[in-house]
Amino acid sequence: MSIEEYVVSQAINGDGEAFAQLYEEHFDKIYRYIYLRLGNQTEAEDLTQEVFVKALEAIGSYKWRSLPFASWLFRIAHNQIIDYIRKQGRVEKVTWDDNIVHVDEPNPALIAEQKLEVEELADNVKNLSLAQREVISLRFGAELSIAEAAKALGKSPGTVKALQYNGIMALRKMMLGDR
Amino acid sequence: MTEKIEDIFNECLERLLKGESVEDCLKAFPEQASELEPLLKTSFVLTQKSAAIQATPEFKARVHSQLQEMLYVKREKAERRARVPFWHRRWAAAITTVLVIVLAGIGTVTASAGALPDETLYSVKLAAEQARLTLAFSDIGKAKLHIQFAERRADEMVEVARQGKSDKIPMLTEQVAEHLDKLYIAEGTKKVGEVTPKALAPVPAPTPVPPPTKVPQEAYSAGKARDAQDAEELETTLSQSRARSLDALRNALGQAPEELKPHLERAIENVAKDYDKTISIIKSGSSP
Repeated sequence: MSIEEYVVSQAINGDGEAFAQLYEEHFDKIYRYIYLRLGNQTEAEDLTQEVFVKALEAIGSYKWRSLPFASWLFRIAHNQIIDYIRKQGRVEKVTWDDNIVHVDEPNPALIAEQKLEVEELADNVKNLSLAQREVISLRFGAELSIAEAAKALGKSPGTVKALQYNGIMALRKMMLGDR
Repeated sequence: MTEKIEDIFNECLERLLKGESVEDCLKAFPEQASELEPLLKTSFVLTQKSAAIQATPEFKARVHSQLQEMLYVKREKAERRARVPFWHRRWAAAITTVLVIVLAGIGTVTASAGALPDETLYSVKLAAEQARLTLAFSDIGKAKLHIQFAERRADEMVEVARQGKSDKIPMLTEQVAEHLDKLYIAEGTKKVGEVTPKALAPVPAPTPVPPPTKVPQEAYSAGKARDAQDAEELETTLSQSRARSLDALRNALGQAPEELKPHLERAIENVAKDYDKTISIIKSGSSP
């Protein structure tokens, strides 16, 4: 049994500390993933909160064998985003706000520069296809492996690799202004 | 078989994410290097920029504290459900059975029915009640007896108040609470596919309780449905008993001399709280 498997089994049995450990481990990744998908700080915060509340409510029914824990968590996040977009009755698009970056660096010039860079990235990501954006967000925002991303999205690893390759190629072209 | 470019790219990306340089990755795939290089550089930039997206520490702490609160409530609920009913302590059964036979034989039990706490026959009255509890056939039967005895304690309060014996009221209030405490049903402790043997075929006391037995799903569902029905019945009986007990006590309060009123008021407040707490626990225990 891996350490993570052990911690998850403890959390399933109602161990609060184990759940807190899983929260610490996955919080930033979940937030980045949702942020990359929606591009709005407030929405990303609300949905991140909902993901962990749902995970806590449902962890008793989680089965390790059928899905790795990270994939299970990101599937909740993915479903939350889909539900949210459906409820809003809007087409999924990214509108990046001004508060995208929170850096520890106190240098205002550096903060401004980083913000510009992320905004540039955001502008490009929003022009990817939905499937490419999902894969890029899971791989680069959430740092999931190909296998984990495939399970979270219910796609084959081959499909995820192809979407990743095409997504990066499209981003490259956009960054060079060649589209 | 030739490896697909997306597979090669992913392999290089994994190396990059593990800390290798773009150049080292490219050395492993010289034929694809020209195609891979710009994509790996883009991936590197993407990784750097994505890492800059972070939630505020305040928000993270807020969610953490909300989850802690939820965990606390969950734990409380689980502990409450896990309480084992008093009547499972079957070791007392044999002794009490003998006692009730002896007492019944000499007719003392009947004579003790109207006894009050400071009277000699009161202990006989309590022993007879305990014997009835021990001999009750089902859990729901025992629960109903506890309700009946809680109400009996409230009636005794009315009587001691009428006789001006205020010192007996707190003790009787405590006994109401004790009877109501014993009603908690340990629902939710049974797992799917398992029921206690009692749920299928009651085992007569004082046989020791054997370990849970696996039974078919239909039998479990039937047992579960019966549990829910019992809880509903119990809730109704409790509500009716609450109304009767409080009516009697409020009546007594209306007729009581001034010096007795604070005692009765306190008793009414506590009895109402105990009934309400028990009703709420029975309700939450019977919810899916």
